[in-house]
Amino acid sequence: MTDDLALTEFVVRTIAEESVAQEKYFGELDAVVGDGDFGYSLARGFEFVLADFDSIDRIDAGTFLSKVAVMITSHIGGTSGPLWGTAFLRAGSSLKGNENISGPDVVAALRAAVEGIKKRGKAELGDKTLLDALVPSIDALETSLAAGDDAATAAETFAATARSAAEATSTLEARRGRASYTGERSIGSVDAGAMGIAVLAEKIAATWPTG
Amino acid sequence: MKKFINDPKQFVPEMLEGIALANPDTLRYVPAYNLIHRADAPNHNKVTIIQGSGSGHEPAHVMTVGKGMLDGACPGDVFAAPPLDFITETVKLLASDKGVLLLVNNYTGDRMAFEMAEEVAEADGVNVKTLFIDDDVAVKDSTYTVGRRGVAGNFFVMKAVGAAAENGADLDELVRIGEKVNSVTRTMGIALTACTPPAKGEPLFELGDDEIEIGVGIHGEPGRRREKWMPANDIADVLLDAIVPDLPFSSGDRVAVMVNGLGGTPISELYLLYGVIHKKLEALGISVGRNYVGEYCTSLDMAGASLTLVKLDDEIESLLAAPAEIAIRVF
Repeated sequence: MTDDLALTEFVVRTIAEESVAQEKYFGELDAVVGDGDFGYSLARGFEFVLADFDSIDRIDAGTFLSKVAVMITSHIGGTSGPLWGTAFLRAGSSLKGNENISGPDVVAALRAAVEGIKKRGKAELGDKTLLDALVPSIDALETSLAAGDDAATAAETFAATARSAAEATSTLEARRGRASYTGERSIGSVDAGAMGIAVLAEKIAATWPTG
Repeated sequence: MKKFINDPKQFVPEMLEGIALANPDTLRYVPAYNLIHRADAPNHNKVTIIQGSGSGHEPAHVMTVGKGMLDGACPGDVFAAPPLDFITETVKLLASDKGVLLLVNNYTGDRMAFEMAEEVAEADGVNVKTLFIDDDVAVKDSTYTVGRRGVAGNFFVMKAVGAAAENGADLDELVRIGEKVNSVTRTMGIALTACTPPAKGEPLFELGDDEIEIGVGIHGEPGRRREKWMPANDIADVLLDAIVPDLPFSSGDRVAVMVNGLGGTPISELYLLYGVIHKKLEALGISVGRNYVGEYCTSLDMAGASLTLVKLDDEIESLLAAPAEIAIRVF
């Protein structure tokens, strides 16, 4: 097993475990202007991923992510399944066959995931979706890695940017997803997906394997 | 929260099992995909009609499976679109030689899931088309949203294409009919209380005893605005003022009217509201060709109602009038 694969497994397992652990909180975030199914959908889907975690094909990191993507798409309902599944699939395709994953490769994979989310959800930056946390965080990650920061530091930078960007979504009017149906009333609360990205990124940064 | 429930995670499967046990002659239940389907499906003499969407809208859509309506319904969890697997496996299992029509309420999650399912099914060689229903006038269509929501008006599209499919119409003809009915159907909803999803265990939003939410959808999400409670006469005006100018419906038109309960309103109140609306429509010179009063598309236990108007022509009216046999409506 390569270090790259081990780190990919760590990131996926952390996202899955934290999504299950935060089910209630994510649901409460969504219930403000949506219908509250975000936490429930994500938790039920990632329970499937965790249950079969050890049997997922892990010939390389990209393949591993692609297999996880299929599990997510198959088992997560609501808006989360198609969006998160597409994101994992695009990231997996971007990394497939790559034996030595560099910092720029990770950034490229995350950008591929963003393009997939935009296409599937027909959303753009500023529509008050998880993209509003994800895109600036990827930019910050790229800058951090280019400055020579180690992976743990770069992960912290990603998480800190995600948190501030997620909080900033409270000033936006939702134009995608179920929250968009409440129009101007969506202003004043953070986007559930964006805050979800921040919480997951913080957990990844806080538990990043060192040494 | 007091509900007839065991484990929130088992709420939907146990509901579906109950529906299947109550209708052993006409319905079949496939637990792996939340699928309820007609016992005689697939019928290769007709196009298969399938509906997805989340649970929590009963009788839509798992209880509108039957002759002249749906061949199958594969709901997701409460208020959540079904996962891709549920839809693709349902399509594969029920596909007929004449093809498959997927009816989908225009909500983001449902739209994404069904668009992906359509791609997968087409790749498998199934002749499949998807119809999106978007009858809700509470949501403005703009370049910034995915468009209007699909709510109770779905019933009329389902009923019309269901009748046409029984008559042997092909897939293209069903799409034409469905798009036509959708284009002349408008709905607006009002909530008196919020609803309580089993997994959350508490109401989705707080509404004061003297407050109502205007322009709600069918997933417990808040509406467009909040106002003080008002008498039924005035609520009818709010609903009609939103719907009538939108199509518009005009003097001389003939319509189908649905007063749909959202799950927590007594039938008595729905009929009271219907009577008020019927008279107001007549005063506008709009005649009622067909009427529907009761629960058709609910939002769990939400007290409230939606009003749907459908502009009738001879074709639509005859399709709506054709008999359908839904298990719960056979006495």
